Amino acid sequence: MAPMFSKGFLPTPRHFGYHMNTVGICAAAMVCFWAVVAVIGPMLSPYPPGEIVDFDYYGPMSSTLWMGSDYLGRDIFSRILMGARYTVGISLAAVCLACFSGVVLGMTAAVVGGWLDTGLSRLLDALNSIPSKLFGLVMVAAIGSSIPVLIVLLGVIYTPGAFRFARALAVNINTMDYVTVARARGERTGYLIAQEILPNITGPVLADLGLRFVFIVLLLSGLSFLGLGVQPPNADWGSLVRENIGGLPFGAPAVLMPCLAIASLTISVNLLIDNLPVKIRDRSE
Amino acid sequence: MNMQISRLVLGRLGVAFVTLLIVSFVVFAATQMLPGDVVQILLGQAATPEAVAALREAMHLNDPAILRYGHWLIGLAQGELGNSYANDMPVADLIGGRLANTLMLAAVTAAVAVPLALFLGITTAMYRGSVYDRIITMGIVAVISVPEFMIATLAVLTFAVWLKWLPALSFANEVTSVTEMLRVFAMPVITLCCVISAQMIRMTRAAVIDALKMPYVEMALLKGASRRRMVLRHALPNAIGPIVNAVALSLSYLLGGVIIVETIFNYPGIAKLMVDAVSTRDLPLIQTCAMIFCLGYLLLITLADIIAILSNPKLRK
Amino acid sequence: MTNKSVTNWTSRDDAMVENAMRRGATRRDLLRMFMAGGVSLAAGGTILGRASAALAATPVRGGHFKAAGWSASTADTLDPAKASLSTDYVRCCSVYNRLTFLDETGTVNMELADSIDTSDAKVWTIKLKSGVTFHNGKSLTAADVVYSLNRHLDENIGSKVNSIAKQMVEIKAVDPLTVQITLVAANADLPTILSMHHFMIIAEGTTDFSTANGTGAFKVEVFEPGVKSIMVRNENYFKSGGAHLDSFEYFAISDDSARVNALLSGDIHLAASIKPQSIRLVESQSGFDLSTTTSGNYTNLNMRLDMSPGDKAGFIEGVKCLLNRELIQKSVARGLAEIANDQPISPMSPYYNAELKPRAYDPEKAKSLFEKAGLLGQSIPVVASEAATSSIEMATLLQQSGAEIGMKFDIQRVPSDGYWSNYWLVAPIHFGNINPRPTPDILFSLLYDTNAPWNESQYKSKKFDSMLVEARGELDFAKRKTIYDEMQVMVSNEAGTAIPVFLSNVDAKSSKLQGLKANPLGGQMGYAMAEYVWLEA
Repeated sequence: MAPMFSKGFLPTPRHFGYHMNTVGICAAAMVCFWAVVAVIGPMLSPYPPGEIVDFDYYGPMSSTLWMGSDYLGRDIFSRILMGARYTVGISLAAVCLACFSGVVLGMTAAVVGGWLDTGLSRLLDALNSIPSKLFGLVMVAAIGSSIPVLIVLLGVIYTPGAFRFARALAVNINTMDYVTVARARGERTGYLIAQEILPNITGPVLADLGLRFVFIVLLLSGLSFLGLGVQPPNADWGSLVRENIGGLPFGAPAVLMPCLAIASLTISVNLLIDNLPVKIRDRSE
Repeated sequence: MNMQISRLVLGRLGVAFVTLLIVSFVVFAATQMLPGDVVQILLGQAATPEAVAALREAMHLNDPAILRYGHWLIGLAQGELGNSYANDMPVADLIGGRLANTLMLAAVTAAVAVPLALFLGITTAMYRGSVYDRIITMGIVAVISVPEFMIATLAVLTFAVWLKWLPALSFANEVTSVTEMLRVFAMPVITLCCVISAQMIRMTRAAVIDALKMPYVEMALLKGASRRRMVLRHALPNAIGPIVNAVALSLSYLLGGVIIVETIFNYPGIAKLMVDAVSTRDLPLIQTCAMIFCLGYLLLITLADIIAILSNPKLRK
Repeated sequence: MTNKSVTNWTSRDDAMVENAMRRGATRRDLLRMFMAGGVSLAAGGTILGRASAALAATPVRGGHFKAAGWSASTADTLDPAKASLSTDYVRCCSVYNRLTFLDETGTVNMELADSIDTSDAKVWTIKLKSGVTFHNGKSLTAADVVYSLNRHLDENIGSKVNSIAKQMVEIKAVDPLTVQITLVAANADLPTILSMHHFMIIAEGTTDFSTANGTGAFKVEVFEPGVKSIMVRNENYFKSGGAHLDSFEYFAISDDSARVNALLSGDIHLAASIKPQSIRLVESQSGFDLSTTTSGNYTNLNMRLDMSPGDKAGFIEGVKCLLNRELIQKSVARGLAEIANDQPISPMSPYYNAELKPRAYDPEKAKSLFEKAGLLGQSIPVVASEAATSSIEMATLLQQSGAEIGMKFDIQRVPSDGYWSNYWLVAPIHFGNINPRPTPDILFSLLYDTNAPWNESQYKSKKFDSMLVEARGELDFAKRKTIYDEMQVMVSNEAGTAIPVFLSNVDAKSSKLQGLKANPLGGQMGYAMAEYVWLEA
């Protein structure tokens, strides 16, 4: 039994450095690949994303259309290259926004407690319980539609979840002896949060971030439908799957390829987080 | 002890009630901000200005918003939900059957998903780093990264169109026997499990692993406790807080977030009702649906909070 | 499609042959058509046999028919005056009757009316059939008709056809079976107008529409708005024989692929209005076929003449030249569309101006027009939405054609929610979607008259208005047609509405479902299918 756990409890020298295993390196490579595609992708694409290049629809892969054609006969390869920018960029920005604000507020609420805690919790609960479609429509009506609005909206939708999660973790840590000691030393809230709480919840918070990223990638397509953000002929990957779902019975690459793109990105982001060097991921060890 | 707990529970419920009030205000404000004029949408494209004005007056839409909010709130408190703008039926009648359908689907899904997720979450934490853990961890990310409508469509194509084992549509009111119920619920439940389990599994795993790092677990290890005992007796009780939170959040999705499943399986639930109501600007219906979602959500998280507090003696102060 | 003896022959072509036969094509015409298309004489005979079988099979009595439309909401209604979704029309058609109805050739037939007569097209006398009863046993009288028609004039009811009904200044019962309608001005189209779905006849004094008391072929058994309805056969129906079906269940599945999948899995017999991209799937399975109707539904690009850039000379003409109609027909509609010439009268109508040719795709001409208008290189916002069928796809094509000549069209996709009240008729350049209307008069008065409620491009022409009034009172078909021909040319050249194609409606159905015919009022036999179809065992 014991050796099973010794890995975690008795760090071998390797674990002191920023060492990463093979899976982690592969995942990191994949994430970097998509990040690069997001930046230079549109320059590589063989056709403009809106041009109809095939009179057939849901066309198969061929030497001219590498990933077949979509429901209108547009080149899927070009559309995925173009969509990378939106999916990677918007989701990353939104997930960072959501997790940063959620975690900071969550830890503050847990450490300060009292009325601030109650007030923040109630406010964010109220926010969370408004259906996102309603929320999206109101946002569009109030401030119009643009990419920054979309990012903020996604961030706001996912902040309460991140907040609740971080707060639940922080509340548990907050009762630890070392926190009590630090408080007794007269440390300020900022110090408690940054030095005592944060290092001890990094692992679960990062795992949470990974999942939230996946949800945001998928929710993006739903909000695009409301006319938020990404405008035709451009589209994010989720929307590509959605608009080509009719090709599923034929196993059309038009629906499978964007799915694969989403899966490769989201899985590698999560694998990367899971395999981050122990020193970053879990400073408590 | 009992006094303390009941005071605590009452306190939590009170807080939930205050939240509900805040929510009711936010929901009311949001519905007022929705683009498009209710009367215009009701009367359709051919509406004349006089007809619009007359109907606005008849519907009290010219009253100040705060007055209408007051009326609505008082009505709500008396259980008077008002009539739908769209077809003048009592909102309670429209919601009644559909709410039951939604709750039924949610209950069946929860009954399948929660035990499954807890089992997978705890076992992956126990065997952290093993092949089993890696496969499950990667598997769940793979499953949730497939859009929900794709899973649902794929399930329909496979089981309904090609194999013809299951019906493509789920009409809750046709259920007469247990086998029939299994057939009808199978595909929506599978789809929903794929969506909601992932977060619960991940969070359970993370929380149990965290708890396993605690000194007292190390102590238990040194004492020579079995791994099973160590996880179940020592680590798990301390991981309950985050776990119930994750479970509550995931389950709250089952009330209002199942729109795609309801659409694809043509299941008459409350999420679709709400979307319909938004597009017809049926304010009484939107408000009631939104309040139901909020109520469900608040109940779940309040319950989660209470369980979390009870499970951690240090929080019971 | 099980019979694949002819390669490349799809049920779309079957539908075309059936349509041609309905329009009166002879066997020889059709065989000539096949030869031109490279189909052998023997194979052509097989196809013809199949098409005539579809038209002439003997009805079977009995069965429970399940069909799914695409639009449902809690606003579903059994009040014909308020019906606005296709699901409402289907339900209302099965439980109520109109005074007249349009058959598949567009001819007016009598339904509840026995005869409709006029001498000056202004005062009309309608004789009702005797012996017609409502579901509750009450006999149909002139009072019911007066009540039903008067409801459209009451602004508190919120009738969808209030603006059309307004021309009826007096509706009175002359005797128990005779109604007299006086119009504000002569209108020869009244019998056709009365065939619109909203003018169904309800019993006098009806105010509760949670169920329906009509004269129709079915009675309401279950009606849950936004969920479903079940109708059972009315055994006392006034038409001999009555409906073939025992019962009829109708509901909506809004998701297109879910609707098709429900059909293919055998859960329903008919999936209304499927996307062109789903056709290949339906055709690949045996036991299913398609029913295609081109009835005058279109999605158009509206450029307001009173706002920039539509007010700049040459811009509208340029956009009309820049719309690649053939590509829209081929790619967006997958061939299930007829190319249109920027005016709303469809080729199905006897008033269609065949002389007026659609504009050819001419980017060079468009470029010079934009240059002259001083707009080349500017970014032009175009509002599109899922709410207007295929508008996003059409906008994308326009954008692409524009990019090739240095014209930047900036597509703004907006939510379907609230589209019709917030963007349609409002934005300088936006898309609209117009459903088929039975007469040119209705279309023109609704859409192009100076005071038209839906004047999409703010087209204002005194000459056009006076021609509209003149044609309305003209009882001679040839003279009317001449006027309408010229009006079509005017709309096509002057108005800011670009109408690229007429979209066909495709209903996918199980081959067991028989008796479904095309109808100028829309898909599903002009929504009135329940009374006429039957299920083969």
